[in-house]
Amino acid sequence: MMFDRILNMFTTVSNESHGSVFVVFMIGLVFGVLIQYSRVDKFEKIAGFAMLRDTVVPKMLFLAIGLASIGLYFMVEAGYASYHPKPIILGGLIIGGTIFGISMAILGKCPGTGPVSIAEGRIDVLVGAIGGIFGGLVFTVYFDFFKKIMGESLGKTTLVSYFQGHENLSVFIFGIVLIIVSIVIPLRQEFDEADLQQLQE
Amino acid sequence: MIRRMPWWLAGILMALLVLFTFSVFGANRPFGASTYVPYFAGILFDLSPEKYPYLKEVHFAGAWEGVMLLGALTGGFLTSVFVTKTFRLSIMPTGWKKYKNSSVISRLVWSFISGFFLIIGARLAGGCTSGHFLSGMAQTAISSMIFGGVVLLSLIITGKVFYKSEANDV
Repeated sequence: MMFDRILNMFTTVSNESHGSVFVVFMIGLVFGVLIQYSRVDKFEKIAGFAMLRDTVVPKMLFLAIGLASIGLYFMVEAGYASYHPKPIILGGLIIGGTIFGISMAILGKCPGTGPVSIAEGRIDVLVGAIGGIFGGLVFTVYFDFFKKIMGESLGKTTLVSYFQGHENLSVFIFGIVLIIVSIVIPLRQEFDEADLQQLQE
Repeated sequence: MIRRMPWWLAGILMALLVLFTFSVFGANRPFGASTYVPYFAGILFDLSPEKYPYLKEVHFAGAWEGVMLLGALTGGFLTSVFVTKTFRLSIMPTGWKKYKNSSVISRLVWSFISGFFLIIGARLAGGCTSGHFLSGMAQTAISSMIFGGVVLLSLIITGKVFYKSEANDV
């Protein structure tokens, strides 16, 4: 039964028009390589950012968002992509965001970096992921309750839509500001034992 | 020398990966990572999508992110073994020992609790670091900016309150 449902995961992906199973797997693989190679899957990078002792995560994240925002806008204009913004659900965003930030600072991972961290042998993160599975279970079972907290959708607004007629310029400024922010954040680093051993070599 | 990629190169390549995911040549959808968790919970606990409407809601996104996750695990494993050479079984992060305590039980209990709430928080907000920060802010989505502001604030306050300000020598 469970085996059928896992197989069903692959059929679902191949029946959808969101990339073949191979393409989706490769997107994940490249993501895993980038996260591992840049070492932002480490506790010292994410919890270190929460303590303001390590700035690699915000530097990388702001640079990636800045570049992607400009690139994506022009890709959408050219018809090679489309926007899929998430709805503004104030209760969900504020309460969920607060819980998410607290948990991220304590676990030192997010749902994307966690698995990559497990792949390099971190058992504490595996325990965190088991906790996460139970979180997913509780959310699924008590969805009616959580839905009330999330509140009504106030629409899927984007910042550029407020600048009718100046979309190009506004997205360009948005992207450039984020890129500048990523450069001016001073570089601070925390290392873990595995890295320190390599430093001594 | 520590084998790792500089933040700026990783940022540029991550932007390209997000753009590829969005493009019609790639997946024609945003990049995301937290939906696979309730999807897998549904599989592991054999919950019927007929009975739990949320499972129906995440059926497609969950499957997509599930396959993506298998790729991420593979990529992370291969890189940690062959490139950065940091693969090793470990329980206690250096930073936890340095800024919190050296109790394995404490680390594991907090890992479980924070992992539990990490997913509750992400699903309440409809996305996580990947879906809201990377994909959402790249679309200049207002929802993602609200999420980003709230997360940054609660992350930094927790960092200040939860950990010691003075380091223990490791």
